[in-house]
Amino acid sequence: MPETTSSRGGSHCYVELRGVQWRLGLGILPSSPSPSIDDLRRVTANYRRRYAALRKQLLVDPHVPKDGSNSPGVVMDNPLSQNPDSMWGRFFRNAELEKMVDQDLTRLYPETGSYFQTTGCQAMLRRILLLWCLSHPEYGYRQGMHELLAPLLYVLHVDVERLSEVEKSHKDHFADKFDGFTYHENGDSTYKLDFKKFDGSDSDKSSAKANNLTELDPVTQTIVLLSDPYGAESELGIVLSKKFMEHDAYSMFDALMSGAHGVVSMAEFFSPSPYGSSLTGFSPVIEASSAMYHLLSVVDSPLHTHLVELGVEPQYFSLRWLRVLFGREFSLEDLLLLWDEIFACDNTKCKKVEAEESSNCGVLDSPRGAFISAFAVSMILKLRASLLATGNATSCLQKLVNFPNDVNLEKLVAKAKSLQALAAEVNSLNSIMLVHNEVKPASARGHSLSLDSSSYPRTLLNVVPESYWEEKWRVLHNEEEHKQGVGKEEVPKIRKGWSERVKLRLSRTETDPPPLMKTVSIKLPEEPSSVIRSLFGSDENKENSVCDEVVEQQGSVEVADKKFGSGEIPLNFSDPPSPIHGLENSSVASNSSVDENEAESCGTHREGCPPVGVSAVSNGPPSEYDIQNDESTGKSVAGVKERSFSGKFLWLRKFEQNGVEGATCEGCDNSCESSKGETVDQNTMVSLRNLGEAMLENIQVIESVFETGSPENGKVTAMSALNELRKISNLLSQM
Amino acid sequence: MVLVLALGDLHIPHRAPDLPAKFKSMLVPGKIQHVICTGNVSIKEVHDYLKTVCSDLHITRGEYDVDSRYPETKTLTIGQFKLGICHGHQVIPWGDLDSLAMLQRQLDVDILVTGHTHQFTAYKHEAGVVINPGSATGAFSSITYDVNPSFVLMDIDGLRVVVYVYELIDGEVKVDKIDFKKTTTS
Repeated sequence: MPETTSSRGGSHCYVELRGVQWRLGLGILPSSPSPSIDDLRRVTANYRRRYAALRKQLLVDPHVPKDGSNSPGVVMDNPLSQNPDSMWGRFFRNAELEKMVDQDLTRLYPETGSYFQTTGCQAMLRRILLLWCLSHPEYGYRQGMHELLAPLLYVLHVDVERLSEVEKSHKDHFADKFDGFTYHENGDSTYKLDFKKFDGSDSDKSSAKANNLTELDPVTQTIVLLSDPYGAESELGIVLSKKFMEHDAYSMFDALMSGAHGVVSMAEFFSPSPYGSSLTGFSPVIEASSAMYHLLSVVDSPLHTHLVELGVEPQYFSLRWLRVLFGREFSLEDLLLLWDEIFACDNTKCKKVEAEESSNCGVLDSPRGAFISAFAVSMILKLRASLLATGNATSCLQKLVNFPNDVNLEKLVAKAKSLQALAAEVNSLNSIMLVHNEVKPASARGHSLSLDSSSYPRTLLNVVPESYWEEKWRVLHNEEEHKQGVGKEEVPKIRKGWSERVKLRLSRTETDPPPLMKTVSIKLPEEPSSVIRSLFGSDENKENSVCDEVVEQQGSVEVADKKFGSGEIPLNFSDPPSPIHGLENSSVASNSSVDENEAESCGTHREGCPPVGVSAVSNGPPSEYDIQNDESTGKSVAGVKERSFSGKFLWLRKFEQNGVEGATCEGCDNSCESSKGETVDQNTMVSLRNLGEAMLENIQVIESVFETGSPENGKVTAMSALNELRKISNLLSQM
Repeated sequence: MVLVLALGDLHIPHRAPDLPAKFKSMLVPGKIQHVICTGNVSIKEVHDYLKTVCSDLHITRGEYDVDSRYPETKTLTIGQFKLGICHGHQVIPWGDLDSLAMLQRQLDVDILVTGHTHQFTAYKHEAGVVINPGSATGAFSSITYDVNPSFVLMDIDGLRVVVYVYELIDGEVKVDKIDFKKTTTS
């Protein structure tokens, strides 16, 4: 009979049992393949055993005499002993920790009648927190951990209450009737009658139920099965058990904090030190906050700019949101609904084309992380009107920190779900922030083209001249041009904001973010883009429209630009319908366009981008390009160089590639020929370096294609990457 | 799980300049809940120092104490145990167990803490326990030779008291442990 339940689809029959559902979502109960009740019981028993052992080991009673052989002697083990390893030393340390925990626990949901203030619950919470902190000494106890633990215990409690209700109403299934049963010689007919005797006051229908477990409604059936004391591991394996609530809560808490082999691990949010292989060197919670801001800038750029202008840094309010998973912002019932959603999201790292083992996963780099980030953004969006109306940072912060209680959680969750895909994309984009951008460190994500890979020491990023990035833009831009993007409303917003700030005369193309974002797999800092745009806007029109588009589209994705109030991207680019696609490797362009047209999500088609970017790189020797921090001056100064660079770039392209449509290039040539000569010398070294980088990228692309198997697109991409490599070698031989 | 520190006969500054450094390093504030001092601390500064170790200080008057307001004897209850404190110079013969047992019955305490002999002793007899923590500074005594600095830490836990004796012998701190269990009759 257990099989019928499980065959109905694993986790779905536990929907009403939050405790079980969350355990599945957190990964402590196996959720795939569809587990049988016995499997669940076994796993449950295992983690319970682990907790019991941990408890015995760590909760120190200094009076318990150790066995004589191990006793270190009284000199070591007296209460005043300075020895930190002595039992007494540990005892005093535990006492300190307990004091800290108690301070927080007394303030947990202090309203009267609250379950959390009952002594039993408080004792359990205290023990669980103490044991977790003792077994993870690197984190210690931080305020907020108790708020993460409390709802976990609560849902278990609710489940157990449910169980007792069911027990009361369906006594027959729970009663072990046979123990006092006397044998009747008459056989079966009397047997059935005796059952009726046991039913006592139960009505007919309950006696009917007694015959067949499957006649119960599914949820009750599940409850009965989960509380069966005779299954695998007998009592220890009862999935819904009051006796082992503490064990279950501990395991859930541990899974939540450690991420259970997934990506989002709450413990990281409490640690002040930089996350593992983080490149930005900021603590994870700051990274996560900036990722969230990044998403906001993609989704709603004016609001984002407004907040940044005011100086409202994300971590001021999002620290609390993230650390307790929005526990402080919503009432308990709402919070449970929200956590249902969060835990339903998978926590495995987003699959990406990984070329290097050293690629980093950002701290929010999973569907669950994307949902968290998206939900935070939807919360900010809810307050949009009032935030935009306030003119100073303090009141903005106040509004964000005192999030209104009467919000419609379903709406927020729905909005978050809609943004979740976007968040996942944004998370996976590489936005390299040059180190001097301290306001919002980019969350560097592993990517096949990631320059964060081991072959690129971080310092090199600062040294790479911006012109390298420009080339990539141009390449992207070219192939993006003829893309019919799906119009996302966010992009128009972003573009508008950009134009307001930059005041460019450029008009924008109709191409759109999803292809943009896919193609913008290249990390490009914003500054050059803006400068380039300005340049392009100011003089070249048709000739550089291609470049404009690349820049523009690049910019729309490169939201993490501090200099320009992050995320504002030039919108009004003049948009000549360029036959300039041909500037690119037409084969490459068409390949990537084919790729991008096929799918919206970033993950699968990133491969299409690299070759495009690479080809651009391979073609252009960049001019020396100094990114000025001051945008106004930068624009003018860089403008000249930009022009020469672009000219040279185009010239070289024309020189190498076939099928380049001459119009644009020639136009560029004419204007740029003169200036070309000046910068030739400077550029050689830089260009060599860039070529090297381009080659590497191509190689990475090919590697990634091989790694991910080879769909048709992959082969095409690989071919184009090989083409690029060939071109680069040609170029090198020519030099 | 109450930690009680018992010490006395410091005679600072008349016979000794200060507690031994090793003792001082062990007496960190925060661990000990009560301090019992048998007397003869001699001056107020030492009284203040003992207060910093723990604010709950019980002290009785020794014959060399400058502050005459200390009581001759004192009793207090910690957990399940009744403790009595007296300096001991009032009880003659000095250090005699029977006489001290008389005082213990008089005070009706389970644990009697006295000093004056500058020597650590811990007797158990049918009525209870008599503990002498010795001299914490190892001050000169006219009735004992070769005085080693010593003090006592009692760990009172329910019906059981564990007495840790800390002695400074040849520059090293030696610790010893004695268990006493209270019978529930009293």
